[in-house]
Amino acid sequence: MGSSVMVAGIVRKALKKTNVHVSHSPVNQLAAENPDVVICQRGLSGRAKQAVPNVPVIAFDMFLGDPAITRVIEAVLNGTTISDE
Amino acid sequence: MSNIIAGDANATGWRSATQKFGGFLAGMVIPNIGAFIAWGLLTALFIPTGWIPNADLATLVGPMILNLLPLLIAYTGGRLVHGQRGAVIGAIAGIGVIVGTTIPMFLGAMIVGPLAAWLLKQLDKVLDPITPSGFEMLIGNFSLGILGLGSALGAYKGIGPVVTWISDRLGEMVGNLVSSHLLPLLSIIVEPAKVLFLNNAINHGVLAPLGVQQAATEGKSILFMIESNPGPGLGILVAFWLFGPKVLRGSVPGAIVIHFLGGIHEIYFPYILMRPIMIVAAILGGMTGVTTFMLLGAGLVATPSPGSIFAYFAMTPKDGYFQMITGVLLSAVVSFLVGSFLLRLSKAGSDDLEAATATSAKLKKA
Repeated sequence: MGSSVMVAGIVRKALKKTNVHVSHSPVNQLAAENPDVVICQRGLSGRAKQAVPNVPVIAFDMFLGDPAITRVIEAVLNGTTISDE
Repeated sequence: MSNIIAGDANATGWRSATQKFGGFLAGMVIPNIGAFIAWGLLTALFIPTGWIPNADLATLVGPMILNLLPLLIAYTGGRLVHGQRGAVIGAIAGIGVIVGTTIPMFLGAMIVGPLAAWLLKQLDKVLDPITPSGFEMLIGNFSLGILGLGSALGAYKGIGPVVTWISDRLGEMVGNLVSSHLLPLLSIIVEPAKVLFLNNAINHGVLAPLGVQQAATEGKSILFMIESNPGPGLGILVAFWLFGPKVLRGSVPGAIVIHFLGGIHEIYFPYILMRPIMIVAAILGGMTGVTTFMLLGAGLVATPSPGSIFAYFAMTPKDGYFQMITGVLLSAVVSFLVGSFLLRLSKAGSDDLEAATATSAKLKKA
């Protein structure tokens, strides 16, 4: 446990200069967070997508230095769109 | 060979279902771990065999484990189902299972808390549309109060005895596993399930509540150490550091710190998912740990959470350090040796992180 807190901390640090709100949540309480984009380990991404079907769910594999997470951070910083298609 | 077995494109199947159910159980326990730790520290310090025995302060130990912790679980379970009103009625029903028994009623609390909240949710659904304005407070308070009365009575006389019976049988089963020396076999289930992100479900949903029951009578329990032992993960990470695919090696030292010291075991799961054969190293490491703990009579006073070596030290009883350290170290050594061997065997493969992520991206598109 604690992995979501850790990844949220990493992303929050990377997005410090923006006013993007980064939080963490168990999958079963995800819908209540009303997120714009979800970053999630691949093992849980299916359930995350089910919880928030209309929100892009970006799956990553590694907790440290995963390119998927970097891409989301860059997309937010550069203002490009994020999609899980 | 880049099979990412964690690639979970749909949210159906046994794994999602187990994650969901286990996640719900764990969701009742995890927010309350601070209270478990307070109780564990209190026990380690003040009971007759503790660091600074004090009969007066030790009177806190019993009421906390028997009343406070199950009540917190029933409260949290109710809150998960029906918000603040659910939490309140969950606690009311929780006291029903608590007074009916002399064991820590975690299982009972996990049942009656959410159940009472669910009943209230159904009742609210009926009453809300027909409540005349100005009567919301009156009807809201009395519907909760009256249903709460019923829940507490039902829990006390109906569910409590049944759950006590089940808890006793479960406790006996665990006792039999220990006395017949079969406990290490649990690792065959626990280690693979962990890597599939069922770790919290297993530890906080199942093992920890049973462990607390044992710790309340014996002062410590080995059940806290079965899922949370940071040794096997450490061995596997070190094996990846020295013998793993080159692209991965750079990230491993950071992962070791986060896993072993920070207690976030999830960090090593992806490494295993990338090389599924490595689960063998985790299982053998886990079995070694449990066997050592069992033979040496190791145990912790409360659940070490997160599963960090620091939490292990904090939750070890005064006379248990040698047993704990030996088990953690041996499990790390075994999983390292087996893991290194397996990594060198599979070295011929050309997969690396990029290939693995590329494949999983492809799988996702398909």
